Amino acid sequence: MPQEQSFTRNVIKKGVVGLVLGVIFVVVAKALAFPPVFQAMFFAYAMLGAAVFILLDAPPLKPVTGGKALIALVVFYAVLSVVYVGGASLWPQYDPEVEKGKIIKLLKAKRAKTELGKTEELLARTQVLSEKADAIMARLRNVGGTAMAMVPAGAGEANATRRRLAASGDLVALGEEQWELQECYNCHTIFGKKSKKRGPKLDNIGNLMTAEQLREKIVDPLSWMAEGFEKQFKKKKMPDKYRDLMEDSEIDALVVFLTTLKNPAVETPKPIKKK
Amino acid sequence: MGPQAMKSWQRIALVTLCLVGLSGAVAYAQIPKVPVAEFPYIGNRTAVWIVAQLHILFAAFVLGAPIFVVISEWLGYRKQDPRYDRLAREVTKVTVILYSMTALTGGLFIFVLLATYPQFTTWLTNHFFLIFALIYPLLFIAETIVLYLYFYTWDAWKGEKKGRHIALGVLLNIIGTVTLFVIDGPTSFMNSPSKAVAGMSLAQYIETASLWEKVYNYTWMPLNLHRLVGNVTFGGFIAGLIAAYMYMGAKSDGERSYYDWMGFVGNLIGVGALLLLPFMGYLLSYELCDYDASICPYMMADQLSMFFEMQGAMVGLIFLASNYYIWLSMKRIEGVERVRMSVLTVAVMVSLPLVMTLAWTIFPVPDPLSLAVLIPLVLAPFILGKLIPWLGRFTVSSRTVIKTGFLMVIIGNAIWMTPHGFVATQALAPEDGSLSLPSYDLFRVTAETTIAWADLALMPAKNAAAFTLVFVTIVNYILYNRAIRQGTIVWGKIDFASQFVLIFLAFSAIWTMGLMGAVRSLVRKYFHVYNLLPDFTAESFTPTLAYSAWWITAITLVFFAVVSFAILLTLRTSEAEAQAPEGGTVPAGAS
Repeated sequence: MPQEQSFTRNVIKKGVVGLVLGVIFVVVAKALAFPPVFQAMFFAYAMLGAAVFILLDAPPLKPVTGGKALIALVVFYAVLSVVYVGGASLWPQYDPEVEKGKIIKLLKAKRAKTELGKTEELLARTQVLSEKADAIMARLRNVGGTAMAMVPAGAGEANATRRRLAASGDLVALGEEQWELQECYNCHTIFGKKSKKRGPKLDNIGNLMTAEQLREKIVDPLSWMAEGFEKQFKKKKMPDKYRDLMEDSEIDALVVFLTTLKNPAVETPKPIKKK
Repeated sequence: MGPQAMKSWQRIALVTLCLVGLSGAVAYAQIPKVPVAEFPYIGNRTAVWIVAQLHILFAAFVLGAPIFVVISEWLGYRKQDPRYDRLAREVTKVTVILYSMTALTGGLFIFVLLATYPQFTTWLTNHFFLIFALIYPLLFIAETIVLYLYFYTWDAWKGEKKGRHIALGVLLNIIGTVTLFVIDGPTSFMNSPSKAVAGMSLAQYIETASLWEKVYNYTWMPLNLHRLVGNVTFGGFIAGLIAAYMYMGAKSDGERSYYDWMGFVGNLIGVGALLLLPFMGYLLSYELCDYDASICPYMMADQLSMFFEMQGAMVGLIFLASNYYIWLSMKRIEGVERVRMSVLTVAVMVSLPLVMTLAWTIFPVPDPLSLAVLIPLVLAPFILGKLIPWLGRFTVSSRTVIKTGFLMVIIGNAIWMTPHGFVATQALAPEDGSLSLPSYDLFRVTAETTIAWADLALMPAKNAAAFTLVFVTIVNYILYNRAIRQGTIVWGKIDFASQFVLIFLAFSAIWTMGLMGAVRSLVRKYFHVYNLLPDFTAESFTPTLAYSAWWITAITLVFFAVVSFAILLTLRTSEAEAQAPEGGTVPAGAS
């Protein structure tokens, strides 16, 4: 079909075209306020295009058989493997440690109800008592001295934080923690952040709904609708899973947190009673 | 069948052993306080992942290949072309070997699952007891019997009895498809357990729900369709792989001619099914999001978003490779330079991403109006060419059409892969927008709808991009069809690079399957059964894409090693048995 060109000429010609196009893309992308990472992506696409067009007009590959074919195959699979693993590793990676901490908190109440959880709770209590005993012993040893007594740490840092918050009655902080754990931020925004199309901004929800109404909405998403979000309401976009997933105390905390969101400067859609 | 292969009774014994193993393992799981096994180095979850994915790959092949095989056998019978029958038989030989591997990995999967997650496995088995204890084993046994019957009656049921043999193949496929649908019940249930009726919690409802209520969940049918189409794609690409291996090892022009043809047919079926795959995947994702809208951001904007970037890259490579294969195939057709196509087709191809992004932004899928622009647009070259004959006279060469197509595949893929932000999760996106698409509006389309650069990351743009890839591939096949009508194919003379393209397609398709299999499992987040049965183990987090890629690659390589061995074992050793008349140059229209 095509007149075969010399491969080197082909590479140079297409390579230069790719480079020129790539530079044009970068300049235009910069002018349109695309961040550098997108500019680099557009450049990479120009080079991919050049590579594809080089391949299209490349001379036919010389056939190989027997042992050479086997080696060629092994090398080909090795290259594919390296490219795919390497390619996947180049993308931004989510740090599992962030999620691990969240999961421990999310499943704490449910885990406590299992046999394993009960055993763990007993062990944790024993640990606390043991630490307390150690602290008393340390105090006794340092009577009159300057050394600090050990602070009971509980089963872990997360548990200790929760205990402290609950003990101090800081339901707002616990509620905010639930906001993060249940990933409400994926659909709603607060604190004046950029809005998302999936759900309404909730910056001023504390002035628009009572605690009871907020609880009703979380437990039964079809009980209230945000004005302007008719389409999302009709499609039942807000999940109805929270009544099953969250403990009563967790819902209470989230409600308390939401009632504190009273910023009239940010427009929060009007809630409409539907049930 | 060669003497090296297992005998039928041995295979059936193996299957039975696996089933007995399953029963024994279930009984073992009933023992209270069974100690949970700990896999060293890789951990329990990765151990289950490896075995499950390997099992699914073998199962996909033994379910997908027979669909391909029976169509090929029927074509051979209808066209009286022995090449189709030989192709069908050779793929069946490999299928029979890999069937044993399916049973073996299936049994291993159950053992590993029970050893590592005994409580959950028992819970799931109890909820789907009728399926696991009766329906699935019976279907498996029926499929085993019919598969071997189908294979061993190949010579006996030929000539006048060929119809009977094809009917047996159809029966094999019916049983296989039912088996797939049945086992998809528990699998899809784990992702989307049936919704509770009013006044009941999900846990209460599931305890009282009937088997059918549990099977007929949100994602059951979309998963069935996705896997069915995926399996055909898989079967086609593996047939291409078999052809590539055999072509490389062929010693005569006749053999090269036959395996060149087989590679083309395998690829045609693989690509044909592949064209439907993005839409089936979209349907599955749509149902998942409809089931629980929080799954959507988890997949597209949160922990799994970069998995979808990788999927975009893989899909782009697969479409580039499949179109490159058409390009190489066209090169060996004598007289291809005479083939031309209306310039309108090229115009539609070029306008698709922009026009359809706008159309689908105003009328989002599944709004019926979303088709109101698409259908007239894709039919425009045909309709306008008929209505205004002089317009049809503006044509371009096949070379120009294909090259424009490549350009559009790259542009389409660039749109597919453009993320909202280069961050592992949007929650971590810097507020200054330094890693995100520009947020300003470009123009207003309707009173409520504006278009912004950020829309490049939304579904209307992604759908338009996917449709562009599909449209370009269809146009290229139409061109190829015109070329074989007007010219002569010289089978066996294809560029040797094409064999690597076939291998690349098989490897990449299977790698992508592994990637998306991982995604389907991971969308359950920290649950064994989504929102219902939490996974309390320390491994219930989302692994990184890099970690996942290592294992997906390892699993794909193991699968390829076994398949390559099976191909060499069954086909290379019985190569001497020439089965069909061979020819160098075949009139193109004859195929």
